[in-house]
Amino acid sequence: MKIQKILIANRGEIAIRIMKTAQMMKIRSVAIKTAVETNAMYLSFADEVFDNSEDISEIPVFLDIEKLISIAQKTGADAVHPGYGFLAENAYFAQKCIDNNLIFIGPSPDAIYKMGNKTIARKLALKSNIPMAMGSEGNIANEEEAVAIASKIGYPVIIKAASGGGGRGMRIVRKAEEMEKMFLLASKESEKAFNDPSVFLEKYIENPKHIEFQILGDTKGNVIHLGERECSIQRKHQKLLEEAPSVALDNKLRNKMGRMAVQIAKAVNYYSAGTVEFLLDSDRNFYFMEMNTRIQVEHSVTEIITGIDLIEQQIRIANGEALKFSQEDIKIKGWAIECRINAEDVQAGFAPDPGRIEYLSMPADPYVRVDTGVQAGSAIVSSYDSMIAKLIVSGRDRKEAIKNCKMALDKVWIKGTKTTLPFFRMLVRNQKFQDGTFTTAFIEKDLDKYYLNSEYEEMLAAWLATKLFVEENLQEKSINVDFENGKEMSPWLLNKRINQF
Amino acid sequence: MNNKLQINKLFALSSENRQFSFSVPLKNKIRIGKRDYIVQLKSDEKYGLYILWKNRKYPVEIIRSRQNKYEILFNDISYTFTVETPFSMQRMKVLKSKKGKAEQESVKAPMPGKIIDVLVREGSNVLRGEAIVILEAMKMQNEILSPVNGRVIKVRVKPDSNVMKDDVLVEIKVE
Repeated sequence: MKIQKILIANRGEIAIRIMKTAQMMKIRSVAIKTAVETNAMYLSFADEVFDNSEDISEIPVFLDIEKLISIAQKTGADAVHPGYGFLAENAYFAQKCIDNNLIFIGPSPDAIYKMGNKTIARKLALKSNIPMAMGSEGNIANEEEAVAIASKIGYPVIIKAASGGGGRGMRIVRKAEEMEKMFLLASKESEKAFNDPSVFLEKYIENPKHIEFQILGDTKGNVIHLGERECSIQRKHQKLLEEAPSVALDNKLRNKMGRMAVQIAKAVNYYSAGTVEFLLDSDRNFYFMEMNTRIQVEHSVTEIITGIDLIEQQIRIANGEALKFSQEDIKIKGWAIECRINAEDVQAGFAPDPGRIEYLSMPADPYVRVDTGVQAGSAIVSSYDSMIAKLIVSGRDRKEAIKNCKMALDKVWIKGTKTTLPFFRMLVRNQKFQDGTFTTAFIEKDLDKYYLNSEYEEMLAAWLATKLFVEENLQEKSINVDFENGKEMSPWLLNKRINQF
Repeated sequence: MNNKLQINKLFALSSENRQFSFSVPLKNKIRIGKRDYIVQLKSDEKYGLYILWKNRKYPVEIIRSRQNKYEILFNDISYTFTVETPFSMQRMKVLKSKKGKAEQESVKAPMPGKIIDVLVREGSNVLRGEAIVILEAMKMQNEILSPVNGRVIKVRVKPDSNVMKDDVLVEIKVE
């Protein structure tokens, strides 16, 4: 093997995920310790930790190309894995690694650049006869041009950042009067997020399903797909739950879309793992949206239904190995669902709720896989994303996977921050979710409440409030401490016991 | 101190105005239909504070308590209750009928973050549900919406400024 030591240019659960596979392949890994997370869990999974906690510069080290290259050199790493987010889709970073004799575990800088620039990607897709939503030929210069194009293809339209991804710089426009404001907002937002204000216009497909295909390609020109993932459960373009396969696809459609996904990947000589995203409308027409040139958060559901370790494949491909399986070898078995448990307040419109995790306990059933970067005592810091854990549940079919998911969700125990758990507990009981007829508009349009609302639970909470009141105000002595299954009730409660009357 | 003896009932009023009544002294039992179920408040090292109900553990956290107001996190959902005695309940009803409507609304930051854009100016007329500020927190851009119809009387933030949770962003005169 060529790769012997990998610098992990990332943190959290994905850093751990990569290090676990590296360890299995007997490859050493280097993690970077930062000032904001000096006790992070991922550090304990590394063979070596590079201490960068003295560095207090504004830019996180995971976005600092020069610094990362120098850390790789100092620690003697021969390869760099970018994970997702940060520099994972930065062509310049990939090129810099190569220029410094480091193996970049990912696609070529050329493929990253072409797919990263949505305008170029659209042109490529057009040339490869991939179905696409109608839109502007290239970037649009100003709001007048936007209005002219929109009136040709018909409202609603969506403005997208040419260099964008992950929902930033996107604006839906439903009528000409909104265009000026939305154009400026989208352009400003993409300038800020991607250093590039250019935007383009596309017909907005109302209420589609989000279907994406996992691609694997090697440096010998072989490209295959590993089936689809359905990621329609999203809010403001942020995915919350993903599953594989999708109820919306039969084998015929799966093969057709998969072939298209392979075709577009081949158009940029793609190698490594990648994802081709499509929108699927209610008439089962599909449209190419974009290609993500990285490992994705939701890669785990594909691993479960195909039995293939995608990180291992990325490393082998980076080593120059040919894929050991062909398209015919890929068999989809069972069903997998991933819930993204984030530190967010569902009752406050999914507002981030950073804080310290006081208690954390995850189910250990055979049908559950948990990918996490935190443990009890860890902090969810506001400088990074709000992910606590990915709860990945499997079953023989969708029905069983949902049933298992319901049970697993009730066993997750997290204290210290509010989480998206109440949302998922509601979701798995929702009829439309169970039917599989939901679309990307599900959260905004089909739900009037974002969390499970149980009458008994509210009553029990009311009982607790009353109990606290009684103990603080009405009782002279004898606190109701339960010694049977623990030591004491709560130090807080004991301290609070002052007679207020 | 003296009225303690007279209290035989307490009411927990939720922020959404649902009412739960409990007899005092408070029992560790709750009646549903014709059956009583035991409810217990416990704590241990692995789980912290929890409620045991029908053989299941539910995580609970006491977020805040001030006088008779309690904010409780029960199974990851927060509830706010005020606990009232029969007397205070009566007094509250009287006070409520006398109180007028708030005339001014302060729009606060729901989370810490950075102001990306302010979409209104002092003097702007806003409609309920209209985006007035864009706030970025944890990679996400959030539109802060006006809770009321009215006129902006004060803008307290500028683009690029950082705000803490509950900082006032904009003040609106309700019209």
